[in-house]
Amino acid sequence: MPEPVYLDHAATTPVREEVLAAMLPFFGPRFGNPSSVHRWGREARTALDEARERVGRCLGASPDEVVFTSCGTEADNMALIGVWRARRDEGRRAAVSTPIEHKAVLGALHQVSKEGGEERLLAVDASGQVTAASAESLLRDDVAVCSVMWVNNEIGTVQDVPALAQRAKERGIVFHSDAVQAFGKVAIDARSTPFDMLSISGHKIGAPKGIGALYLRRGTPMEALMFGGAQDRGRRPGTENVAMAVGLACAAELAVAEREEEVQRLGALRDRLEASLLARVPDAVIHGRGVPRAPHVTNISIPGTESESMLIALDLRGIACSAGSACQSGSINPSHVLEAIGVPADVAKSALRLSLGALTTDASIDRVVEVLPMLVEKARRLAPA
Amino acid sequence: MRERVLVAMSGGVDSSVAAALLVRQGYDVVGATMKLFCHGDDVPDRPCCSLDSVNDARRICEQLGVPHYVLNLESAFGHDVVRDFVDEYARGRTPIPCVRCNTFTKFRDLVRKADAIDARWIATGHYARMIDGALHRGLDPAKDQSYFLWGIDRNVLSRMLLPVGAQTKAQTRAVAHELGLELIAEKRESQDICFVPDGDHTRIIARQLGADAPALSRGPIVRRDGTVVGEHEGFARYTVGQRRGLPGGFGEPMFVVAIEPESRTVVIGPREELLGRGVVAREVNWLVDPPPLGTELSVQIRHRSRAASGVLVRRDGGEVELALDEPVSAISPGQSMVLYDGARVLGGGVIERGRRALPVRAA
Repeated sequence: MPEPVYLDHAATTPVREEVLAAMLPFFGPRFGNPSSVHRWGREARTALDEARERVGRCLGASPDEVVFTSCGTEADNMALIGVWRARRDEGRRAAVSTPIEHKAVLGALHQVSKEGGEERLLAVDASGQVTAASAESLLRDDVAVCSVMWVNNEIGTVQDVPALAQRAKERGIVFHSDAVQAFGKVAIDARSTPFDMLSISGHKIGAPKGIGALYLRRGTPMEALMFGGAQDRGRRPGTENVAMAVGLACAAELAVAEREEEVQRLGALRDRLEASLLARVPDAVIHGRGVPRAPHVTNISIPGTESESMLIALDLRGIACSAGSACQSGSINPSHVLEAIGVPADVAKSALRLSLGALTTDASIDRVVEVLPMLVEKARRLAPA
Repeated sequence: MRERVLVAMSGGVDSSVAAALLVRQGYDVVGATMKLFCHGDDVPDRPCCSLDSVNDARRICEQLGVPHYVLNLESAFGHDVVRDFVDEYARGRTPIPCVRCNTFTKFRDLVRKADAIDARWIATGHYARMIDGALHRGLDPAKDQSYFLWGIDRNVLSRMLLPVGAQTKAQTRAVAHELGLELIAEKRESQDICFVPDGDHTRIIARQLGADAPALSRGPIVRRDGTVVGEHEGFARYTVGQRRGLPGGFGEPMFVVAIEPESRTVVIGPREELLGRGVVAREVNWLVDPPPLGTELSVQIRHRSRAASGVLVRRDGGEVELALDEPVSAISPGQSMVLYDGARVLGGGVIERGRRALPVRAA
């Protein structure tokens, strides 16, 4: 069997060698607790502070504006629920987001509504972009917090975060962006874009699973979600995960340094993949095409096929990609993102997400272009007339 | 090149051992667990179809070194199996959802999945045997599940593998231990219907038809002559042949002998009123060329009952009628009538009704 092809970088990425090397001392001799007074503690504290500074630099932020979390989901929860709780007595009862967010945001929004908040969803157009009209009408003075993802994890389309953040700022709304897929793909700078909060996740950029960060602009009201010690100014109690914070800092720096080159490289591979597939399967539909997209995600529906069987057939040939959102059992549910952008159910059920990244080469693309159309033809032969 | 087989895996011992045996026999095994329904968070662990079961199947496949997938067949299962189950109860009958699951879900929808991944074979952990392409009873009479398999498409027989059908359950457990499948080797057996969360089928009916559906509403309990002898809280709680939950004081045990859904009536009577000399079945499916009228057959009208003998007296369209050599008790509409020649399954159908009088034999 030919080399396996991993095209699911939007799900997770392998830990980079540099990142692993940077973390290892903290699993060994530098094992100290950053809160301790002694030498071991000081060493760990220094590494943690440095990591905070380095992640901050990658975002255009000061070190004190970086909160390390256990994952992107925690950062998103902190942003929505923490800010909503902190502002509920100001007369701002609404929390606003979009229907195409990651479940980490939609779930947090749902929690806000369970706690008495008003849940509002901005309208998105067929490419997944928030419509100006709905931003105009929903981002009002009664909104505590608004969260709009920068790059969509399923279709890769890029939101106009600067404009939305500006609009929110004018209304006194705390603005958050889930940048888990955007970081390392689009330019992010807290000094030039007026977002108040932003989530990133380590394992999407070559750090391990289990580390994320929330950028929190100075002065942003936020209640901690956990209670305990004074770590991270009480915003995130619990002994800090020094090794992982160092790993995230290392991966973030590499991602920023390599961003422009990697965007070029992945964009070219993605374009070739899409063009080659369309040449062989002309009725395939690529979602979110025609608006700015991050270079690493393509979401393609192939009429006459069905995601679940295609994923399995591809996996059995060594090609890994994804579809919809996996439920807890591992079975595929229809994508809420495709539904929200108005993709008909029968088209949505044939969608595949291929996401490119560090492991993707010309040969990966060649292999997919060789195998996928063949499977499509076979699926269509088998499909009940 | 090794032949590929798609194995339907529930996470239980039978299908796990089936997969393991096929790996040992050199097949290219792909494991699949069907996700058939979702109760959300309100139902604790079930022996079958639960999250833990999916995880068990996945871990067994990992141990066997074969891929495992979860297939979402919720919508088709809901329509083909759950909906029919509810509708049959609403018609005063007692359905067997496992039969329809085998017919439509495992050996039709899953076969399509097998096609999609180039699997020549499809395998399950059923206690039944394939002998020269023909379906036979499982070797262990205590475990035989052939009764539930009469409805499958005859064309699928040539692709079926039933690796545990020639074993006893004890042997299957022993093989599980021998192969190191300790995770599931002593797992308890699933007894109830997988999608009925707590063994109370009326909850599913209430969820789909409403708690005030006629099948769940009060009605009379009567004798054959129409004498009202009591009331019941919904005829869907009764099955022909049932003794539990009936009024007493008749000097002899009474049984449900009929359910009349139009008037919501449950008819009861003594044991002799349960006896039937004929069976009419519809939705008949043959796994062999249909035998001529007058053929003497072995017939089973419920799971775990002894086979009776009878003669095929009528066959038109999807309906057949059997004349029974001896009276048979509790022929329940909705259950299956399965026809055998010795251990070989010839076909079957859904019981429409029993007849108390001996049907006229074909000339």
